[in-house]
Amino acid sequence: MRQIYLVARREYLAYVRTWGFWISLFTAPVLLAALLFGPVLLARAEPSRVIVVLADRPEDAALVTTAFETEARTTSRAEIKTYLEAAAPNVAPTALAAFDAAPTRQAAGAAARALVARQAPGALRAFPALAPRYAIAPAPAPTIEALKPYLTGARKLADGRMLYGAVDIRRLDGAPRVDYWSINLSQREPADIAQRAMRTVMQREAVVALGLAQTEADRLEGLWPDVTQFDPRPSVGGQVTLRQRAPFFAAILLTFILWSIVFSVANMLLSGVLEEKSNKILDSLLTSVSPLQLLVGKLIGVAFVSATLLGLWAALGGALLNMAASHGGQGLLGQIAASFLDTRLLVAFAIGFCAGYLLYGATFLAIGSLCESLQEAQSLMGPVALVLAVPMMLLAPALDNPNAPMITAASWFPLFTPFLILIRAPSNLSWTEIAGMGAVMSVSLILVLVLTARVFHAGVVNQLSITSLFRKKAR
Amino acid sequence: MTFALEAEGLAKTYGGRSAVQNLSFQVPQGSICGVLGPNGAGKSTTLRMLVGVLKPSAGRIALLGQPLTRRVLQRVGYLPEERGLYRNMTPRAAIAYLARLKGVHARSAFRRADALLESHGLGPVKRKKIKTLSKGMAQKVQVLAAIAHEPDLVIFDEPFSGLDPVNQRVLEDTIRAEAAAGRTILFSTHIMEHAERLCDRIVLIAQGKKAFEGPTRDALALAPSVALLETEGAFDLPVALAGKGFVVQSDGAEAGRRRWRVKLEGPEASRRLLAACVEAQAPLSLFEPARASLHEAFVALVGDRVAHGE
Repeated sequence: MRQIYLVARREYLAYVRTWGFWISLFTAPVLLAALLFGPVLLARAEPSRVIVVLADRPEDAALVTTAFETEARTTSRAEIKTYLEAAAPNVAPTALAAFDAAPTRQAAGAAARALVARQAPGALRAFPALAPRYAIAPAPAPTIEALKPYLTGARKLADGRMLYGAVDIRRLDGAPRVDYWSINLSQREPADIAQRAMRTVMQREAVVALGLAQTEADRLEGLWPDVTQFDPRPSVGGQVTLRQRAPFFAAILLTFILWSIVFSVANMLLSGVLEEKSNKILDSLLTSVSPLQLLVGKLIGVAFVSATLLGLWAALGGALLNMAASHGGQGLLGQIAASFLDTRLLVAFAIGFCAGYLLYGATFLAIGSLCESLQEAQSLMGPVALVLAVPMMLLAPALDNPNAPMITAASWFPLFTPFLILIRAPSNLSWTEIAGMGAVMSVSLILVLVLTARVFHAGVVNQLSITSLFRKKAR
Repeated sequence: MTFALEAEGLAKTYGGRSAVQNLSFQVPQGSICGVLGPNGAGKSTTLRMLVGVLKPSAGRIALLGQPLTRRVLQRVGYLPEERGLYRNMTPRAAIAYLARLKGVHARSAFRRADALLESHGLGPVKRKKIKTLSKGMAQKVQVLAAIAHEPDLVIFDEPFSGLDPVNQRVLEDTIRAEAAAGRTILFSTHIMEHAERLCDRIVLIAQGKKAFEGPTRDALALAPSVALLETEGAFDLPVALAGKGFVVQSDGAEAGRRRWRVKLEGPEASRRLLAACVEAQAPLSLFEPARASLHEAFVALVGDRVAHGE
């Protein structure tokens, strides 16, 4: 035990005393925050995209313009609803009623905001900005041909803004046709909005052709049932809001943390064993420690490096979340904070972290022991990285349906269990299943450690390497 | 006599290829013993088996009177042939770390590391990173790391390789000092001169087999003695000594003199050779009976090709 402790201690100190450790300690949370909030902030910071509408008939242009305004109003309402249901559920119905009563989108937003300011001023700090995604501008030219310099960015609009896209509504034999022009080929949302608007026009025209009043078409179009999502679990027992969804977000975040730890640990373990091989220190060590003691010591040492990082991040995150929980109470951050403290999720994370770290860590050590250079190790890492990519590829389908047969089966496969147990944890994963997966992982770990110890022994004692194996085969 | 090391019937095979075969030898306590042989003779494999790094395919090993175990290995120091240290560690930390792995307590380990580094002239660099030291200095650190836990038996594998002549002398002194402190030293080398100067006993290995084991003087006695002669002018010594039972070989010529090498065999061969030269009126300018070397003894034992690792 003393030998294992000394190896682990040396390994730990070797990393903790490097600049890289302290840099990653402080930069990782910043980078993670940037990754999480960056896209949201960027999207908020982006000015409204300018669209112009051309049409053979002015009434078509007016309808499409209205459709864009309606779309913006609907989106604003949904943003306010989501936010208030999480941040100030008590005022959500009245604020939405105020929103609905206002004639325009701007007025609606202002009315809701004013109500929140009166009834729940604490929730005003992160109140949605409600900037519309698309803004309709007067067309600077009457034809698409003349608009092309604006669309390609060669010319700007009179107010200095860039033109994002143009919707051209033409009538071919009376039937509307939507042409959408833009150089942003991957995004066609404006075309979809225009298409939906013109569909309404076509429905109205069809209803009138059948001899009914045009208002009848609008009435039919307005038929839209309200949908409320519920969770049947007794522990939840109610309407699904952000609070119920928060554990899923927490699970995704923890999965990413585990995944990035496994990858950073891979480098540490690989470079550690390669350093010992290339520095020819192994023979000196092996008179004092057995290969198994060396393997276990290294795993424990690097595990403590990860645990230190994780512990400090958890302390920092915990303090921030605690602060958020105490200040926000039922607020958005408070609910997200509470979701991290879910016992099931924490147990799943503990199993996932321990099992994932040991399973992959031991594999990386075995790989390192068989390599003679970092280049060789990195090329061997390719297949392992592919295996590690699989759980990430399963993430989207797992979130879509965590209890799908394929995801359930994959979560029992030891290489994927550490990640999928986390993703499945918030979706009614039973304690029996968690215990079962823990047992499967334990058995797998024993097998992997025994196998790894043999490979490690062959690599460090007998100087077996991938190169020598291939040479032997070639002979 | 008590033995610090006993190897009996040691063998090591790698996939059907035999690296060491049926090797048995003993190292008396307190002696300096050399394991000699050409490159590839099986010296390092033997030493790695003795310190438990490699598992023998057959045979028995006893160290310090006990079977080879991790426990007894704590009393053994080892300097491997392929050596190195953690480049980012300081010499002080590296020596203390390896001593602690051998069971020395932290405080004692650092105290011993300090003392050894100071006494070997490495005090000023003891807190610098090993990667900043010269190769010779780093090698010295490694030697010190092998003896920092004050082992009863020290095994050095090719300790002189890579050292300049000055540091080779320093290392020889270290080995003598360790032996004087009552430790048993076993070291391997393919350079016979070191063994000649240092060893009480030697084990000669060739092609994985033992060719000789015993006191160094006994090995030297096995080597054929020679005399070096120099004659003035064009005197033909082989012709002059023909029929007198001497094998004379030319050893070159220089400045009007010819050099000869004559094998000395049998009792009083040196005196008989001198008498024969006088009788033949050889114009001798040099008559020097040469001391046999271990290398010659080794060649005599295993043949020229095997001795040179062919």
